[in-house]
Amino acid sequence: MKDAQGEGYLLARDDLFDWTDTLLRDFAVQGPVLKKKGQTVFERIDDPSSLQLDYCSTMLAPRNFIYPQRQEFLHIQRSSGQTRVVTPAPAARNILFAIHPCDMHAITVLDRIFSRDSWDFSYNKARHETITVVLNCAKACDQGFCSSMGTGPFLKIKDGYDVEITPVDRAYVMEFGSRRGRDLIRKAANLRRITGADLSQKKRVEKKAEASFTKFLDTKGLPELLARTLNHSVYKVTADTRCLNCTNCTMVCPTCYCYNTEDLTRFDLKQVERKRHWDSCQELNFARVHGGNFRSSREARLRQFVTHKLCTWVEQYGCVGCIGCGRCMTWCPTGIDLTEMAKEIQRDWSPAEKR
Amino acid sequence: MKINPGNPLLPLRAVVLHKTRETENTFSLKLSLPDTRPVTFQPGQFNMLGIPGIGEAALSFSSLPIGKRSFVHTIRLAGNVTEALSRVSKGDRVHVRGPFGNGWPVQQAKGKNVVIVAGGIGMAPLRPVVYYLLQNRKSFGKLLLLYGVRSEEDILYRDELEDWLKSGEIKVLLSMDEKPRKGILGARQGVVTTLLDAIDVPLADTVTFTCGPEIMMRFVARQLIIRGQGGNRIFVSLERRMKCGTAHCGHCQIGAKYVCKDGPVFAYADIKRFADTLL
Repeated sequence: MKDAQGEGYLLARDDLFDWTDTLLRDFAVQGPVLKKKGQTVFERIDDPSSLQLDYCSTMLAPRNFIYPQRQEFLHIQRSSGQTRVVTPAPAARNILFAIHPCDMHAITVLDRIFSRDSWDFSYNKARHETITVVLNCAKACDQGFCSSMGTGPFLKIKDGYDVEITPVDRAYVMEFGSRRGRDLIRKAANLRRITGADLSQKKRVEKKAEASFTKFLDTKGLPELLARTLNHSVYKVTADTRCLNCTNCTMVCPTCYCYNTEDLTRFDLKQVERKRHWDSCQELNFARVHGGNFRSSREARLRQFVTHKLCTWVEQYGCVGCIGCGRCMTWCPTGIDLTEMAKEIQRDWSPAEKR
Repeated sequence: MKINPGNPLLPLRAVVLHKTRETENTFSLKLSLPDTRPVTFQPGQFNMLGIPGIGEAALSFSSLPIGKRSFVHTIRLAGNVTEALSRVSKGDRVHVRGPFGNGWPVQQAKGKNVVIVAGGIGMAPLRPVVYYLLQNRKSFGKLLLLYGVRSEEDILYRDELEDWLKSGEIKVLLSMDEKPRKGILGARQGVVTTLLDAIDVPLADTVTFTCGPEIMMRFVARQLIIRGQGGNRIFVSLERRMKCGTAHCGHCQIGAKYVCKDGPVFAYADIKRFADTLL
């Protein structure tokens, strides 16, 4: 559904806020808002002027609007044993507004996980009901390396999103990836069809954005390399000297999907809420079974994180699990950098040494 | 069966038809799903058994389907959920989701000799394999069951082992950590690998199914490979922490494999390339 030339629209910069105002009437708009201390977070806005459209990646990815940190998915009547599936029922439909292309890409990665092998009801219901408006990035984030991962700075996917917005000179190029995205754009006043000139302007912004990157990762052959260097010392050294096991990396990662479940019995002892919450492979007990723990060392847990994102994910889902947003290294208290670890392994396996 | 084809996280209620005490810390539950379509599953697959308010645990079937709606799980006390399951009695209800996993590749063993190596509770997921092999006896070559236990008290399904031994259809050998009393199924003292010497079939024409502590399976597989069996003909059944059974919760991953979806049964050659196993 990528628009043919002339199918997109151009909206003057100031009119974007009027458009957002229109959307607020029918939807819960979750957009980037600047908080104290300079951090941008996604939250529900009630005034378009609170939007912070020029932002570096947020701490938490917008994934929690589709896959919440904690949610009840099953309700059980204890006396009768009757069960009821609990799926999220938002009062108004959510629009994830002005999310970066990397975060959009991450949502499509989660789609593969929660709908390919078996269908996760809670996730897919929320996903289906959530409208995604992507804002292409005019410049690289500090720690971002999305251009290396093929997930940015402009949207690289053909479907799975609704609206794609690109900031150009005093205006926005508005394109759509779905019918409902097109309907959403058409709610705006003062739209005009885009021309070839607008598209070449978009191309120039993209070129400029791509030229602004300072962080890179060469992913060619990387999954294969990591698969045969599982015992590389970088895991042990980094884990032993720097990893605090805080699980920050996995909490902020927009593609992390692991969860744990718990049964909460209400005080009346008659009802049980079966809940799930994000879990982390960096937790000591993540791989514990009766009689042992298969990843009792920090080294093993760190290797699990790095090799899952950059190596085994490819075998599992046909794509890498890292979208290059840089959150894991930004929010690591000791600044452990996934790309540096991969590069160290790559350096040790320079072409001459390779088999 | 696809007990619940719609939402795999939604459990059904099974009624406890029978509870059998197997050993000091192990018991079997015969369960029935009264209101569903006929139950089908393969040996080696597993269910998530749950008690509302406590949680769920992944447990292998220790029987083939019984009639249209019943099946057995043999459960060793290992944590909160199994402890809660041990307190149910006949007529009680437990929650069931499943079946999950791939099961033992019994079809691949057709026309070949089959060696089954079990350790401790690892006998439970292998019992339906023995049932299947004996039911389809003509399709297979020689059958051997090597079973290692700690002590006489830990022997599971002792009556059945004796019946199998007497039938002559399958060779049954037992090893025991403790020095065995005379006449207990001809048990030898030692770990289960001491029984590998008794394998009297050409390994090149044999499929091995093994389940037990992971460290045991390591030595079984390596010994068999040294003796000439291919790593792709040795199948191991693995245990990992599981919360969903649907390859979503992430806990059971070994490298690129989900034990709940790609396993729990793996060809040894296919799983030992990954980190974080004892194989």
